[in-house]
Amino acid sequence: MARREGKSRSSRRLGILGFVGSATAAWMAVALLGPAERVSAHIVPAEKLHPAVASYRRMVFLLNLNPVLWDEVHKDSEVIAAYAGRVAPAEGEAYKHAADAALTRVMEAAASADGLGPQERKQAARELFELSTRAVARTVAAQLDAAEKSLGDYSKASRALNEARQLWAAFEHEIRHSDAPFFAEAGKCWLTMSSALGNPGVLGAGYVAADASAFRAEAGEIRGYLAASFGAEYRAPELGWLQPLPVKSPTFSASAEVPARLPPGSEINKQLPRPRQILNMTARGVNESETVLIALGDMAFDSPYIFGEPAQSLQISCNTCHNKSITNPQVFVPGLSHTAGGVDVSSSFFAPHANNGHFDPLDIPDLRGIRFTGPYGRNGRIGSLREFVRNVIVHEFGGPEPDPLMLDGMIAYMNEFDFLPNEKLNAGGTLSGKATDAERRGEKLFRTAFAGMNRMSCASCHIPSANFTDGRRHNLGTVKGSGPYSRDGALDTPTLLSAKYTAPYFHDGSQPTLRSVVEWFNAQFKLGLSTAQVGDLTAYVEAVGDGEEAYEDTMHTLEAEMEEFSFFLSAYEYLKRSGKQELIGMTMQTIAGEIRAHKWDVQDQQYLPVLDRLAELMDEAYTASQRGDVAAVDKKVAEYRKLYEQQKENLK
Amino acid sequence: MRAQVRLLAVALLVFIGVKAAWAQPRELRIVFIAYENPDQLMEDVRPVVAYLEARLGRKVRPFVASDYAGVVEALRNETADVGFMGPLQYLIAHEQAGAQAILGEVYNGQPWYTARIFVRKDSGIRTLADLRGKTMAFVDPLSSSGYLYPLETFRRAGLLAKREEAEQFFRKIYFAGGDEQALRAVLNKFVDAAGIGQYSFAMLRPEERDQVTYIGESPKIPSHCVVARKGLDAASVAAVQAALLALNDGPNRGLLKQLYNVDGYVKVTHETFAETERIAKEYGFLKKR
Repeated sequence: MARREGKSRSSRRLGILGFVGSATAAWMAVALLGPAERVSAHIVPAEKLHPAVASYRRMVFLLNLNPVLWDEVHKDSEVIAAYAGRVAPAEGEAYKHAADAALTRVMEAAASADGLGPQERKQAARELFELSTRAVARTVAAQLDAAEKSLGDYSKASRALNEARQLWAAFEHEIRHSDAPFFAEAGKCWLTMSSALGNPGVLGAGYVAADASAFRAEAGEIRGYLAASFGAEYRAPELGWLQPLPVKSPTFSASAEVPARLPPGSEINKQLPRPRQILNMTARGVNESETVLIALGDMAFDSPYIFGEPAQSLQISCNTCHNKSITNPQVFVPGLSHTAGGVDVSSSFFAPHANNGHFDPLDIPDLRGIRFTGPYGRNGRIGSLREFVRNVIVHEFGGPEPDPLMLDGMIAYMNEFDFLPNEKLNAGGTLSGKATDAERRGEKLFRTAFAGMNRMSCASCHIPSANFTDGRRHNLGTVKGSGPYSRDGALDTPTLLSAKYTAPYFHDGSQPTLRSVVEWFNAQFKLGLSTAQVGDLTAYVEAVGDGEEAYEDTMHTLEAEMEEFSFFLSAYEYLKRSGKQELIGMTMQTIAGEIRAHKWDVQDQQYLPVLDRLAELMDEAYTASQRGDVAAVDKKVAEYRKLYEQQKENLK
Repeated sequence: MRAQVRLLAVALLVFIGVKAAWAQPRELRIVFIAYENPDQLMEDVRPVVAYLEARLGRKVRPFVASDYAGVVEALRNETADVGFMGPLQYLIAHEQAGAQAILGEVYNGQPWYTARIFVRKDSGIRTLADLRGKTMAFVDPLSSSGYLYPLETFRRAGLLAKREEAEQFFRKIYFAGGDEQALRAVLNKFVDAAGIGQYSFAMLRPEERDQVTYIGESPKIPSHCVVARKGLDAASVAAVQAALLALNDGPNRGLLKQLYNVDGYVKVTHETFAETERIAKEYGFLKKR
């Protein structure tokens, strides 16, 4: 389904510029139209930002982290400098000089024997933040100057105004939340300036003269605000998190909270088509309505409310990274990720108290068959899945101590995750009659002891009869240690089952394909495999990692999602009997949020109001649960179930 | 005498041949409109140009204009043969430069779209009449879906008789410069309502969409069109039509993404725009005859 927009000016611009290479955009379609038009609303398109703004906002995010990725900061400062240099050459040059000097200083300190101390880091981050904030504010003013000077030349003036308007977005989020009166005022200023450009008409028809005085007045207001807030004297207030707050504005609200955001370049959408999740109980044909502990765990797995801030506000749940219990190879957050599908969960962003102080993003693991793959964590540091999940909630995503019942539920749910069925493997992990000759040759190599591997074979660790893992940790030299002769490089042996669908590979996602993994072993351990043998071994590993129907055969996920929400709700009576009011509230909140996230997927939009009502019923049930009104919650839950049963054929 | 007749016949044939060659220039010049980055646009349309060259058997030269005035001007002064534009711009180009619409774009299976009047759901505004004395954002004074048809929507609701009355009906009118800017002005409460193209709604993020709705819809607007300059020979027009229509179902359908992301094309004639022409005259964009 192609994306569609309004058919004038900016909308058409998006049409021609926005679609190229954007799978996300391809899934954005039409809303509020009719049966023919669809959207995949849970696939949220990236905000469109001016490159200098994207760099500024990403840089501000990076500067707040510990550690700061100075190389990345440098790249963004270069973008800002290049743009500022084009718009206001003298100031752009001054910015570049000052930013480069600060970065050189801090990077030299970081590389020195003493390393970079916290105070030095914070000071350098503050300096770069202030420099960049002033520089970007200056570009807005410079573009407004350019637009004002070009009034009468519509093309030129509108381009400059458009640039200025886009640059304003560098500060808009903070102004919106901390200075609402000026946010509204500025909105009118931009509209007035746009109107004051006039219109050149077409061959004389529709000509409207520019209104220079109206333009000047509004441009002056924006310039004045920026000069007062982020001008030459700007110093960041001592508030901990660096962000461009307009503290000098008379209407600034010091008590306002500015919601956290992920930086430009982030991707936390789930993949489409979805990976096929196999729950053992479902595969056995169990009626889901009576597996309430699993239902509770499924809800918690999909709920951002088990986490703390900022994960909760950003609507991040376990399902974000382990989409349908698998892995989400798209996840990327600048400053936290080194490659798509990897995140540093021991960083200062989600849970500053548990930051380990160094950048160590890990490839997001596939959770299929997790009951067979302990110990947990890439370095196998925790033996108990329950303890591991608690650690994720509390110390990786800043959540409160989880309710023991909820934790039990999550483990019950996760223990249902099965590997993909694989017809090429027998129960003991040997190849079945479905395997090819190349795969059989590969199997032989897999079980061959190599001198380079201390007379061990691949199968020594990836034990075929033990789901292709040995449950132990080995140091293969893939981890850069803390220092010479350190012993901190051992990693848990990953299973090879279903691995064909979990690229990239290794703890850091450094190997893009299974063949590259085989080649790495061949080179690292001097196995002496010929190219043909590498091919055979790869074929075997791919056969082991294969599986039937790895992805769902539809792009429309609403029907399955709605069924899942009913499954969540099946735990309600049990939670009520157990007196778990908090978990009841969490269930309602999660269902309401999930319906709203998925509702735009509905293929026939006349049923949007049904979805709205279902979400409202969960809101109302949540409110009632918060005031302890059990009867009201009962009523809302019953209404929800009834409406869903009546309408479920339409909610696809 | 017979020799003279033969000579005359040969001369006539040569003349016809030369005229035919003259009438069909070696290259076809197409003007595209770029709102942001012209270099990027030229890059994006490269496969389209290659397709057309192969299909038409002649060189195709793309040009970029930064606004519709540039497109229309290029057709008028014959620096371009074919261009892309909205219905209102086409009508002006037709009136003043004899341009002819040859194809219409298809959106969601239809060669038309509508304008809608969007408001915030929590604004308390339920009808078009509620917008009396309120602030209004349009896109551009020369926009079909972002001005002309929204005004027509109010006129048909009996709230306005002509364009000038809009100034009195609304407390303040803004031209936001784009559909998205106008819609976001509503979302952010800078204005009470926006009159814009129906598809603009998809520009909002999912959580934003829940905050706005529309309270009025215009009559059908003919879709944006492919326009040939006055005097472009019939063979070239037919060839361009056939080449672009072949994208609808053919193996090169993917190229439609590069052509403003449309679903396809249909043949149109000037008659397709008759109602728009009538409205445009009412509002003074075209001369009344």
